[in-house]
Amino acid sequence: MKPVHLFKVEQVVAGYDHKTVIQDVSLVVPSGKISVIIGANGCGKSTLLKTMARLIKPSSGQIILDGKPISQFPPKQLARILGLLPQSPVIPEGITVADLVGRGRFPHQSWLSGWTKKDYEAVAEAMKFMNIIEFANHPIDELSGGQRQRVWIAMALAQQTDILLLDEPTTFLDITYQIEILDLLTDLNRKHGTTIIMVLHDINLSARYADHIFALHKGRLVAEGEPSKVITSTLIKEIFGLDCIVIEDPLSGSPMVVPKGRHHVH
Amino acid sequence: MIKPSVELIMAGRRQRRRRWILVTGLLALLACILCCAMLLLGNTIYPVTEVIRALSGEQILGTSFAVNTIRLPRMLAGLFAGFAFGLAGSIFQTMLRNPLANPNVIGITTGSSAAAVFCIIVLQTSESVVSLASVMAGLATVMMIYLLSNRKPFSIGRLILVGIGIQAMLDAGISYLLLIGAQQDIPAALRWLSGSLNGSQMHELPPLMITVLICTPIIIILGKQLSLLELGDQAATSLGVRTNTVRVILILSSVCMLAVATSVTGPIAFVAFLSGPIAKRLVGSGFSNAFPAGLVGVNLVLGGDLIGQFAFETRFPVGVITGIVGAPYLIFLLIRMNRKGSL
Repeated sequence: MKPVHLFKVEQVVAGYDHKTVIQDVSLVVPSGKISVIIGANGCGKSTLLKTMARLIKPSSGQIILDGKPISQFPPKQLARILGLLPQSPVIPEGITVADLVGRGRFPHQSWLSGWTKKDYEAVAEAMKFMNIIEFANHPIDELSGGQRQRVWIAMALAQQTDILLLDEPTTFLDITYQIEILDLLTDLNRKHGTTIIMVLHDINLSARYADHIFALHKGRLVAEGEPSKVITSTLIKEIFGLDCIVIEDPLSGSPMVVPKGRHHVH
Repeated sequence: MIKPSVELIMAGRRQRRRRWILVTGLLALLACILCCAMLLLGNTIYPVTEVIRALSGEQILGTSFAVNTIRLPRMLAGLFAGFAFGLAGSIFQTMLRNPLANPNVIGITTGSSAAAVFCIIVLQTSESVVSLASVMAGLATVMMIYLLSNRKPFSIGRLILVGIGIQAMLDAGISYLLLIGAQQDIPAALRWLSGSLNGSQMHELPPLMITVLICTPIIIILGKQLSLLELGDQAATSLGVRTNTVRVILILSSVCMLAVATSVTGPIAFVAFLSGPIAKRLVGSGFSNAFPAGLVGVNLVLGGDLIGQFAFETRFPVGVITGIVGAPYLIFLLIRMNRKGSL
C-alpha cells in the first residue's frame, strides 16, 4: 500500500491573469481515498485541480504536501509523489502505446539513461492494469477514444505516484467507457491505496464513485464530506440552480439526483 | 505474470531502436559519400591520392588551391550549415508541435537576410559586419515574434501567423532594397535571398563550427525533456519537467545555430523545414529524430549543391534546388493540415 500523505490546500486564491477564479479555498485531501470535486461550469473546479497540480501558481495561499509547499519540491521529486492526467494532452504523431506509457517514467530516470528493468516492469504493469498490453507496439492513432484514455491513465500509473489528480477523465467518452474508466480507477485506489482526486461532470457518477465530495460554487468551497451527507436537493439548488429530488441509487445506495424540469415537475 | 508483457514491450522497443540505428548509420554514410564527392568533383577532377595529399598539407600546383581554398570550405560550410538547419528546424517543429512552426516559415531566417541585404546595399559594410548583423537580426526577429505573439494562453497558431506577417514585411523591405541598390552590390545581396555555398571561405567557418559543436550536445541532452514537451505543457510539468527553462534553452540553442548558419550560407530554402519530417518518416517513432534530422539536413544541402553545380548547363546555387524540392511539400502540408483542420 502507498504511504499516507498530508496533502492540503491552504487559503488559496488563484486564477488566470487578472481574473480570480478560486477565492480562499482551504481543504485537506483524505489520504488513500477517492475525492471528487463537483460544481457548475466555471465554478473553478478545474482551476483548483490545476493549482493543486502546480500548473497554476496561487496568487496567495499555498498547496502543502507533507508539511512543505509544493513549489519548494524539486520538480522530479514532486512528480514521483503527485501525478496529473490533464484534460487534453497532445498525442505525438505516430507514437506507439508502450513508448507513450513509458514517458510516465521520466521522474524515475536519470539524465540520458535508457529504460531500466524497473521501467519496463512499471510500464508493463500499468498497461496490464489498464488492459492495453495487447496494443503495446501499435501506434496510438489506431485506437478508439476509450482506449486512448486508458493509455493516458496507464502513463500516469507508470509514473507510480501516491497521489493522482485527474481532470475530467471521462469527458467525451460513451457511458460504457465512463463506467469502465471509473471502475479501473476504483480498482487502483482499492488495490494500491492510491489517493485519487478528480474533477467529474456527472453528479450521479461522482456520488457513486467518490468517498469524499468537495462542492465548489463561484470559486468557494461550500460543502464537503461523504456523498450521502453532502448531496442534497438544497446543495444542488445552491450550486447548480437546479430543482431536483435526491433518491437512493438502487445499485450502490449512493444519492442519486433526479432533476425537475418545466415539463416534469410532478 | 509480468514477464511476457515486459518481453513484448522490450521486443517492440528493440525493433524500433534497431531501425533508428540503421537509418542514422545510413544517413551518416551517405553524408560521408557526399562530403567526399564535394572534394573530388569540380571543374577539374583530380585523382583521389592527389586530393588526399593536398588536404594533408602538401603543396601541389592547382590541386592545393582548388581543394583547400575552394572545395574544402564549400564542403565544410554545407556540412555544418546543413546540420544546423536540419537539427534546429526539427527542434522547432517538435517543440511547437507543428510542422509549420519552422524558422523558414515564420521568418527567422528572413530577418537575418533582411539585415544582411541592408548592410550590403545601404551601409556598404565589410563582410564580417554583414555576418554579425545577420546573426543579431535573426535573434531580434525571434524575440519580436515571441513578444508579439505572447498572449496568454500561449498559442502556436498565433505565433505562426505573427511570424508569417513579419516575414511578409521583411520580404517587402528586401525587395525595396534590391530596387534601390547599386548594380554592383546586387550579386552579393542575392546570395542572402536563396542560400548558396559559393564563395565560402575558411575564415568564416570557425564561428559556425563552434556554435554547432556547443549547441548540438545541449539539444541532445535535453531530448527526453523535449519528448515530454510534445505531450503539452500540463503533462510535461506534472512529469517534473521545468517547461519554461527547457523551452528557453532549446529555442536559444536552435536560434543561435540557425542565425550563425544563415550568416555563412544565406537561408538555404526549406532545409530546416524538410529535414525533420523526412527524418521522422525514415527513423519511425519512439526515438528522437533530432540527430537524424541534422544528418538529413547535411544530405539535402550537399546533395542539392552537387546537383546545382553539375546537373544542369548553368550552375544553380543550392537554395534554388532545395527550394524546388521544398515548395511542393509546403503546399502538400498546407492542404493536408487544412483537411485535418489542425491549422
